[in-house]
Amino acid sequence: MGEKTYAAEPRTPEELAGYANHIVQYSPEYSLCTGCETCMILCGLSHEGFTGPGNSRIKVELGTRSMLHRIAACQQCADHPCYEACPKKGEAMKIDEKGIVYIDEDFCIGCGLCAKNCKFQPTRIAMKKDKVHKEWKAVKCDLCRDNPEGPQCVKWCPVRCLGLSEESVFAPDGAKPAELDAE
Amino acid sequence: MPNYKISDILENPSNTQKLYGYSGKIARINLTTREVSYLDTYQYVPKYVGGRMLIHRIFWDEVPAGTGAFDEGNKFIYMNGPTTGTGIPAGGRSAACAIGPSVLPEQFTFGNIGGWFATELKYAGYDGFIIEGKSEEHVYIKIEDDKIEILPADDLWGMRVHQTQAALEEKHGHDFKSMVIGPAGENLVRIASITTSNDCALAKGGFGAVWGSKGLKAVTVHGTGMVAPADIETLKRLRLTMNNPSMTPSPILHLDRLGVPGGEFEVKYDRGNVACSPGCNQRCNALLMNGVSAFEDEPVNHIEKCVSASTFGYQADIPAPVGMFWPTKQNYCAPCKLLGRDFPAPDFSDPDFEAQGKVILPDTYDLWKPDYERGTIVNDLCNEYGIDKWEIDVWLQTWLGMGKKEHLFDDTDLGTGLEVDVENTDFIRTFIDNMVYRKGKYGDLFAEGMARAIRALGYDKYSETVYHGRHSQMLDGQRLDIPVSLEGGWGQSVHWQGRGYEGSVEKPTWLAACIIRMLSTRDANTVEHFHSEFEHHAEAMADPYHSPNLIRAIINVQNNAEIKDSVMSCEWQSPNPWWPTMEAEMYQAATGYEMTAEELHEAACRSKLLMRAILIRNHGRCRKMEIEQVWRVMSIPDSWGEVADWQQWNEMVDLVYEARGWDLETGWPYRETYEKYGLKDVADEMERLGLLPTRPAERWHDYGEAPYVQFVENCKQEQAV
Repeated sequence: MGEKTYAAEPRTPEELAGYANHIVQYSPEYSLCTGCETCMILCGLSHEGFTGPGNSRIKVELGTRSMLHRIAACQQCADHPCYEACPKKGEAMKIDEKGIVYIDEDFCIGCGLCAKNCKFQPTRIAMKKDKVHKEWKAVKCDLCRDNPEGPQCVKWCPVRCLGLSEESVFAPDGAKPAELDAE
Repeated sequence: MPNYKISDILENPSNTQKLYGYSGKIARINLTTREVSYLDTYQYVPKYVGGRMLIHRIFWDEVPAGTGAFDEGNKFIYMNGPTTGTGIPAGGRSAACAIGPSVLPEQFTFGNIGGWFATELKYAGYDGFIIEGKSEEHVYIKIEDDKIEILPADDLWGMRVHQTQAALEEKHGHDFKSMVIGPAGENLVRIASITTSNDCALAKGGFGAVWGSKGLKAVTVHGTGMVAPADIETLKRLRLTMNNPSMTPSPILHLDRLGVPGGEFEVKYDRGNVACSPGCNQRCNALLMNGVSAFEDEPVNHIEKCVSASTFGYQADIPAPVGMFWPTKQNYCAPCKLLGRDFPAPDFSDPDFEAQGKVILPDTYDLWKPDYERGTIVNDLCNEYGIDKWEIDVWLQTWLGMGKKEHLFDDTDLGTGLEVDVENTDFIRTFIDNMVYRKGKYGDLFAEGMARAIRALGYDKYSETVYHGRHSQMLDGQRLDIPVSLEGGWGQSVHWQGRGYEGSVEKPTWLAACIIRMLSTRDANTVEHFHSEFEHHAEAMADPYHSPNLIRAIINVQNNAEIKDSVMSCEWQSPNPWWPTMEAEMYQAATGYEMTAEELHEAACRSKLLMRAILIRNHGRCRKMEIEQVWRVMSIPDSWGEVADWQQWNEMVDLVYEARGWDLETGWPYRETYEKYGLKDVADEMERLGLLPTRPAERWHDYGEAPYVQFVENCKQEQAV
């Protein structure tokens, strides 16, 4: 087997056509991520009632040396390889009317195939661990589809460096997706 | 095993009070025996809250008198707090303590630090750890959930700070967060720091050298567990109200001026604002981008805070408005807003607007010209070697600058092979290199820290020589003499003490800063900044030594510092004078325990008492000892040419002691004071040791003569000539 190649995050309107609405990080010229991880923390709090890296559906890739940070969130691929890989698709993984792939934990068997088949690096699907109870569940951004306030990471970001891709394409004030170099 | 569900926390049989917020255990890691054991957090909380309060209790219980900084018996105790990892703003910080090698004489001291480490440790299932013993080999500690390993560090030893962080990420993965020491800590440089991400450092006390003495290069941690706050709705409210986050974009700024008002110079640079630790709602740290590296060809980014501003240029001190220490409610602005340049528009309807906005013009020193590249390299040297910037920026460099002008170095190159010249980057770099690697006579000498080095060179000459280049802008440029060595007490540099670095402040403010320094063991003015409401300013100015509200404010500042380092908040977020219940609300939201603000202040008094007991039992602390530490600095003219009055200063100390319930003659707490705060066991131990005072029949007031200060004598002799 050859080494897996990973996709680049969509940036242009043409590239974005292959993706449903998703979380994007704006350019540091618009707003610089402070590395506060509020997006991760509020994600965990709103979905689980507690925080922790395995409970967040969004991840901040911290630049330890550069102190420039990259947000890694599900891009809501139109071809959704995670969904296709799920042995319980239609039950554990579902697709809503807006093309958002989401997880129904009641049916997730914790096999991890969705995470392994994510086309991005790092994978945009976390595995929520529960070693005590021997339960593993996949955790994935669903754009807070059940929350009338919308995505909590966007709502609570103190510097507004996060937004939605549908809005960012036509974003006000020069906002555009980030072009940070990974460390 | 970390906690993975809320039931893991609440069904812990030790958690009888059903507290959220804590992980539940503290790791004890013995580097001599290589054994790991655990303490139950719930045996200490809520009484000892967390963070520094918990540290004080454990240190009192475990580290006996006679323990030196580099002894096997010294313990490095590190704690996060109940708000850590919850998303309550500023909760990502943490506290630590040990016998500090930079303190003169060596004493118990403490610090706090940001970065991502504390939160990651909580996710791994720990409220803190105690590092004890000494390793024969160079080691680092790897914590991954419930697995704690002591691993060889021979391949890391010798690496600089960022190299070590990168090497640990390379070894164990990017999810691991590390606290590390650089070469300074390895070589037992007494001012060595422990550094984590975001250039956050435990810089005070010389804890990096404590790790070096234990053979410990780093602690790296990754956790997969969770942290559960009790009240998410209150947490959200706190996020939106604690220091009114603007919740607006924060773009990279392309600037062409650097420095404090009045001392700005032209230089093109990029600046971003970032947070120091997870969960914060502010962005107070300045990220200076693409600066010159001291070691690499590639440009580097640095976090810069207030102290390092002076290293870019120090011709005049820092201007400070009265309201910085004495704010009005209408124009109150937390330091995090000021540092992040995120402050609200001034409220001109404030009747005290002009008075609180009056700027004290700083003294001029004319020590080194603005030079962005030089300043960036010096700061990078501090960051990479792991040394305290305060010692370098405030003390070493000013000493070199003033000493040079007073001809102290006419016949010496201080072991550098170069003419002593604080403006010469090569000279400074060579000097710091020699110090960090203990090269030559002077390298070895200054590795002991400025306080010890100056005493070894000859205190009277190298500390007390008069510098004639300081001028007061508050007195129309009049010359005001100052010694060449800016020592402020306990072997640490001056800070907000009325003269020297950040020195141009009014008498009540510097008296308060000196009291706070006197009662501590370090430059407490980085963690216990003095603030009081402006409505008490006039009273304090009228009679600063006897102002009841000034004494109350000092006690409040000290207690709030304990609370901030224990609930876990930040010096720039907490306290808010007009929101006295803020920390109690933070604690309640984190733990679910209904602790009132008054109870939190009682806990702070208890914690201060424990620290006082440690200082008395372990280090012989008494009134005479601490008064003499700060008297020298108060004998130097302030920006109005005034010095402290010995009689009235003692009367002020009396008022503080009485407010604390301490004996006036010895400075030792009475039994009833210990017992009032639930420390009968401490009182019993102090009585056994003969360290419990009895109340005198008559009020003590035998202040004696003011301590001799060589600098004062030198000034008199010059005036006579």
